Amino acid sequence: MPASDDPQLVPRGKGGRAPDPFRVGGWVPMREYRDDEAVDFAVVGTGAGGGTLACRLAELGFTVVGFDAGPWWRPLEDFASDETHQQKLYWTGERICDGNDPLVLGANNSGRSVGGSTVHFAMVSLRFRPEWFKSRSRLGYGADWPLDWREMWDYYARAEQALKISGPVTYPWGPKRPRYPYRAHELNAAATVLARGAEALGIGWAPTPLATVSAPRSRSPPCVYRGFCVQGCSTNAKQSALITWIPRAVAAGAEIRDLAMVGRVETDPRTGLATGVHYCREGRWRFQRARHVVVAGYAIETPRLLLNSADSRHPDGLANSSGLVGRNLMVQANQAVYGTMDEAVRWYKGPPSLSLTEHWNYEDRGKDFFGGYCYMAQGPLPAGWAAIVAGSRGLWGEALRREMERYNHAVGLKIVGEVMPDEDNRVTLSDETDEYGLRIARVTFSYGDNDKRLIRHSLRAMRECLEAAGGVRELWEERDDTAHLNGTARMGDDPRRSVVDADCRSWDVRNLWICDGSVFPTVGGVNPSLTIQAIALRTADRIAALAARGEL
Amino acid sequence: MSGRYPGYDVLAKRHTPSWNEQTRQVIDRRLALPREPRFLAPDEFATLEAVCGRIVPQPAGRPPVPVAAMIDDKLHANRGDGYRDHRLPPLREAWRRGLAGIEAEARRRHNAGFAELDAAEQDALLRAVQEGRIAGDWEGMPPALFFAKRLVFDIVTAYYGHPTAWNEIGFGGPASPRGYVRMEFDRRDPWEAAEAAPGREAQARRDNARIG
Amino acid sequence: MPEQAKSAAGLALTSFAVAAAAAALENAWRPPPSADAAPAPERRAAAKRLNGAAALLAGAALADSATEHYRGAFHNKIMVLPLGVAAQALGASLHGAAARGHRASSARGLGHALALVTGIAGTGFHLYNLLKRPGGWSWLNLFYAAPLGAPVALSLSGMLGGLAERLRAGRSLFGRLPGRLVARLAALGLVGASGEAALFHFRGAYHNPAMVIPVTVPPVAAALLLAATLSPRWTGAARGALRLLTGIGVAGAAFHAYGISRNMGGWRNWSQNLLNGPPLPAPPAFTALALAGLAALKLIERER
Repeated sequence: MPASDDPQLVPRGKGGRAPDPFRVGGWVPMREYRDDEAVDFAVVGTGAGGGTLACRLAELGFTVVGFDAGPWWRPLEDFASDETHQQKLYWTGERICDGNDPLVLGANNSGRSVGGSTVHFAMVSLRFRPEWFKSRSRLGYGADWPLDWREMWDYYARAEQALKISGPVTYPWGPKRPRYPYRAHELNAAATVLARGAEALGIGWAPTPLATVSAPRSRSPPCVYRGFCVQGCSTNAKQSALITWIPRAVAAGAEIRDLAMVGRVETDPRTGLATGVHYCREGRWRFQRARHVVVAGYAIETPRLLLNSADSRHPDGLANSSGLVGRNLMVQANQAVYGTMDEAVRWYKGPPSLSLTEHWNYEDRGKDFFGGYCYMAQGPLPAGWAAIVAGSRGLWGEALRREMERYNHAVGLKIVGEVMPDEDNRVTLSDETDEYGLRIARVTFSYGDNDKRLIRHSLRAMRECLEAAGGVRELWEERDDTAHLNGTARMGDDPRRSVVDADCRSWDVRNLWICDGSVFPTVGGVNPSLTIQAIALRTADRIAALAARGEL
Repeated sequence: MSGRYPGYDVLAKRHTPSWNEQTRQVIDRRLALPREPRFLAPDEFATLEAVCGRIVPQPAGRPPVPVAAMIDDKLHANRGDGYRDHRLPPLREAWRRGLAGIEAEARRRHNAGFAELDAAEQDALLRAVQEGRIAGDWEGMPPALFFAKRLVFDIVTAYYGHPTAWNEIGFGGPASPRGYVRMEFDRRDPWEAAEAAPGREAQARRDNARIG
Repeated sequence: MPEQAKSAAGLALTSFAVAAAAAALENAWRPPPSADAAPAPERRAAAKRLNGAAALLAGAALADSATEHYRGAFHNKIMVLPLGVAAQALGASLHGAAARGHRASSARGLGHALALVTGIAGTGFHLYNLLKRPGGWSWLNLFYAAPLGAPVALSLSGMLGGLAERLRAGRSLFGRLPGRLVARLAALGLVGASGEAALFHFRGAYHNPAMVIPVTVPPVAAALLLAATLSPRWTGAARGALRLLTGIGVAGAAFHAYGISRNMGGWRNWSQNLLNGPPLPAPPAFTALALAGLAALKLIERER
């Protein structure tokens, strides 16, 4: 592709137009704002949190500029069916990982695109178990959210409607929820194994509610089951923020600036309020004035930006009087059990996780740990699978190639498991700098005892399920994987014990908001994307309500 | 390797609806990769080639996957993973130290370069690296960690990111706009790889000839 | 094309040819009837119309089972059978629709009986296919397992064809007036087909407003048809609704073609979209049953 067209080199969101992801080479008009005129909201990050919030704020009548460090992809033209090439969707700026269990970043948790990690996520769209919003008082661990589950239930429904989630007609767990807007997808063989195992064990299972459509939706065709979901959907069936919230935001008058790395949030020395953001675009540093700043860079970049925005008034970084910015980093356990079948499974067909069970999210008996996990079917592509096989089993040489030859007969289950908040798991700044001259993040993580007990329990449970399914042999475990990132700017009702309040407004800087997975006080045993979007929808409503009362 | 999927070639689908233009360009670039190193020095590259030959030994009788060249390309472009374990140096430095360390270990054990050893000696050395039985570290880089997180990871993901390897394992390959219809056990779409049941090689070969 | 598909296609073509040939031969071989044994002209006309409806249903069943069983890779050898049976039913029905003679044909009758029985067996097979999946009787399996209503099209074809033969033979239809019997059968068929459309349009989340049409119009038409069997007051409305329905069947096929074209890759991706996309042979079932209903109305009018 000529350099002038390369979305990784040349911004597309400029000149008064934005790409139309549904039309090859298509454009839609986009309003532009001057840097020197304050907009109502500058939103840093356009993923599940920032993209949703930018959209709703624009639709509610606010002037909004969204910034994203990543490119503005056109899925129909830019996405190839190739694992290696599509690494371009992941965050490739350096971070340093340490702790007892240094994290592996990339495909599982770090996107870099307009649309954020929703461009590469596996589309699993689940609701929190209601009790988790009061983990401390109801279940005895972690911290309480300053949100009521009943209010969140309504916002979940709105998010599911907006994304036309394809899910089962009735969902086996939790309080009643409205029917998913679209029907669930067909199970592939890999998903059928989980279903068989669950039925044999007598536990519930369900087709996974997924953010990819099972029938046409506007200009999105239905999923073609090509299996490259995590590498980016070139069908536009996946309802990522890139093709849902962002086009709506642009249509409502928001401006989205791609390839715009925000390096610093500026505050006024007299008032202590945020005044705007410094961002680097096309090789130049610029400053956008804003009446409010929303930081939505996900759980590593958000604390990194806040810490990098330190100045003499805020030596420990912005919004950090509690000292909790960057702390309580939670991932989710992502261990797996795999096996081999005589039948061909060919798990590369279809979304990777077409079935799941949330049994161990809702069952509290028989656990020697706090928290919960779900597990789901899997479908890694060759390079990813080779990394798992080689990494977990130490195989190389002829042994590896022999094992890889059985690719089409592999089957497995993987958890999304709750990790406990721990203040020592944190994001800090290292002394290394990136190409923008900004200090890069150091990510420190170690599993706690509760986490290890949960993982042990889950490995046993997944083994049982595969054994009960029948026909699965030679089971082995992947013990070394995590997914998602949360917690590093937690919300609470006490300014000393949290960074933001229930409205995602920071206690210290009343016009600085944080709206992404960083705000989670606990992480639960389900993928976070739907919860992040529900929080963003609520935050938009709260902002509108506060504005109407003149409290903004 | 006798071949579970005789005659299967994902490249035969290049002009079917299973491939789109962007995919063709990407795979073409990968297949046209220069075989000469652009980042590593010639002796480093020789070591790397020998290492690749043991980590993913390739059968004779088919054009080899240029794994070492693919890794050199990754180093040349400095395409990191976006994070690194704190105990490892960044990508290029890690490989530089690792290759040097392997060479040094080969000289220490056998008084010869790694590429000059026979397969059994090379395997034994690599196994020693994997199991951390190398005395000392490589300029502060733990050999076993380098082996697991860098060496094996980069080599196997390069190899299994190549169409030849996809053919070997019967992966459906690129799939856009056309995806898949039949998702049940033992069910294949006519454009997927046909697996040879014992004694039914000829049938599988015929099926695989028709995928394009 | 894989081996089984080729054999299945061969079997279907052969059966079609055999059935048509058998019926033609039988006609040619039998001695001419005496004039006073001839059934009334309106019965002959009705029989031909029923043959037409049966042909449309058999053709739809052939196309549908061929596509879907090909998609199922003929994994059970018996999946070849409905292609052959539908093909021969099509042959027999076309012969009946074209036959200038008024005689019943036992060859055709046998073909229709075969279709009836095969359809019933097929429903049994499909039910087994559904129930053996995890979840058993569940929405997911109703959506994605072998469709329960599909073999019924073959049975309906057989029933209509069989009724056509009895009409020609001048025999009473199980002691009932033929018009009313055919009307009830058509109404039942319409309700069933509508239910099937409702299920699969539910699977499609009614993403297009037109998808409610086959869920609303056919039951109304069926109700009007039944009302017409009870009182002549409803005949006009029933006729209107059924005529509308014949058009809806055609429009439905056009909608389905549009649906296939708007899937990823459109017609160029036919190897996926013809199998995945909305089934082209399904909507014509409404046309077929509407034609049968209209034939029944004519018979009823005569019978009054």
